Amino acid sequence: MSEAISLISTFATDEDCARGIEALHAAHIHNFRAFYPYPSEPLLEAANEARGLGRSPVRWWVLTGGLTGFLSAIALTIGTSLEWNLNTGGRPVASIPPYVVIMFELMILFGGISGVIGFFFHSRMPVFDPEPGYRSRFNADKFGLVVQCAENEVSRCESILRGAGAEDIQREAAPAAAAHGH
Amino acid sequence: MAAAVESGITTESPTLIEVDRQAQFAFSPGGVKYWLWVLFCAGLTALGGAYWLHQIYYTFNITGYGQPTMWAVYITNFVFWVGIAHSGTLISAILYLFRVRWRTGIFRLAETMTVFAVATAGLFPLIHLGRVWNFYWLVPYPNERSLQPDFRSPLVWDLFAISTYLTISVMFLFTGMIPDIANAREKATGFRRILYSILSFGWQGTDRQWRNFSMVYLLLAAFATPLVLSVHSVVSWDFAMTQLPGWHSTIFAPYFVAGAIFSGCALVLTLAIPMRRLMKLENLITIWHLDCLSKIVLLTSVVMTYSYATESFMVWYTGDPIELATFHERYFGPQGYWFWLMIFCNCVVPLLLFIPTVRTTTIWLFIVSIFVNIGMWLERFVIISGSLSTNQDPSQWKFYMPFATEIAITIGSFGWFLMNFSLFAKFLPIVSTTELKDGIKYLRQAVREVYPYRRAA
Repeated sequence: MSEAISLISTFATDEDCARGIEALHAAHIHNFRAFYPYPSEPLLEAANEARGLGRSPVRWWVLTGGLTGFLSAIALTIGTSLEWNLNTGGRPVASIPPYVVIMFELMILFGGISGVIGFFFHSRMPVFDPEPGYRSRFNADKFGLVVQCAENEVSRCESILRGAGAEDIQREAAPAAAAHGH
Repeated sequence: MAAAVESGITTESPTLIEVDRQAQFAFSPGGVKYWLWVLFCAGLTALGGAYWLHQIYYTFNITGYGQPTMWAVYITNFVFWVGIAHSGTLISAILYLFRVRWRTGIFRLAETMTVFAVATAGLFPLIHLGRVWNFYWLVPYPNERSLQPDFRSPLVWDLFAISTYLTISVMFLFTGMIPDIANAREKATGFRRILYSILSFGWQGTDRQWRNFSMVYLLLAAFATPLVLSVHSVVSWDFAMTQLPGWHSTIFAPYFVAGAIFSGCALVLTLAIPMRRLMKLENLITIWHLDCLSKIVLLTSVVMTYSYATESFMVWYTGDPIELATFHERYFGPQGYWFWLMIFCNCVVPLLLFIPTVRTTTIWLFIVSIFVNIGMWLERFVIISGSLSTNQDPSQWKFYMPFATEIAITIGSFGWFLMNFSLFAKFLPIVSTTELKDGIKYLRQAVREVYPYRRAA
């Protein structure tokens, strides 16, 4: 059985890195991890396409939170008005138009908080150990593609990455957990 | 190149690393002058705090408050600071949704301004309460008297609106800052490295993280946009829902929102112009950014002029004698000079921004922005204090003038705001390197196309 290797490739531009992801996808190599200093559209699209992913599930967190906030506001305003009846000049005890303001605000509040929690959850943050292959320059001016492959696949993967425009490729022994995929 | 940097024009194309270097220089440890400035702001805050304690001890007898003007400088300050807070979200959220490229250099500064402006605004209802320890009576919980706040009251809407706005603004600012803090973490040492490691939550910019980040940021922007409009509308309804002449008007919500954007954008200019020079950010916050921002100030100034005219027209057209009397006193009464000074600052001075040279000369822009800040504070004062002074019963009319207490607390609020803002700017990224890198090619292109005469000079 051959040993798993990490190929840490560095790209100068987002277009090159996106090309690298597309080339890996075309070659049916999906055991990779990408690092970008900023989220350009070509990169996001290429990574989603390669992984067969749609839009982030964070949107469902926002929807759920927003609906919860809206319903909570209905319960808070109408429920408490009925429980603690405050009759002012014969006006309706539960008056919907002014309560819409509270409903709107709580919908936004709960939706926003829920969305941020969803973002942390799906991004698996906080992260205490660096991802295998992470380099600090991937947060500054370079784009990284880290591919895990078997020893006998190394030259093929390197050739794909170089063909896409990788300016540097380093080899490392892949950590056992990372070799199982991303 | 030196001349180009001086004028703020990026004639050469900065690389991604140069963007990092310039941005990180801005929040490198401050020198003696910086800490003296922070100390000065802290001194102003302490002055305001001392007067507040004095007021709590001696009650409102030591202020100019009295019948019929029971809402005056404190509520003026509240509305002013909430208004200031609005342009942060406008520049950040609305322009993000429309993919406006010039937001990249200044949106973080504007968001930061938003958070601290809301935090400052939130103090004024407490100061205004007098018995500040009873502030929690607004919070909906079944208290010992089995009473609930009246959800039909705009003051209760305000509590929900302002709390939501502060929370969403903080989350929007902080979420957007995570990649920049992670970037700073890589080069920081000592205490700052620990701080940035904690605040970045181990962000490494993986494809998974960016995918979720892009979605949550987009949705927060989509939530924040109607929130901006709602919050200042709610603030305006604090007034418009009453029967008081000068307040009871349907124009108040759009009029207040336009005014908020106007004053907020002006304060962004007031802060950005000295800051880009002191922090050597001329290549990141360029004349192009300031020019675009000043066009929004100009636009909203025209909207404000139209609003003033419409408000006056409606009073004349309805022919209501009480409204006519209130507005007559506003224009020609003993304190009419505040109104005309406001018109000069908000409607006349910003017209200078029609001249391209004014929009691209920082000293002119700074002067115009100061006038707008003064004018917008006066606008709130004229609406609030002026209308209350001349209510339905002329026998009660009495014009308000602030005492030393209100003046000191107002100065203290500016000190509090500037101290927090200055501390933030030296410890956390005040410009977004992430978005500047993403939009750097648009920046170069725009500078080349929009300012050929400047480059030639």
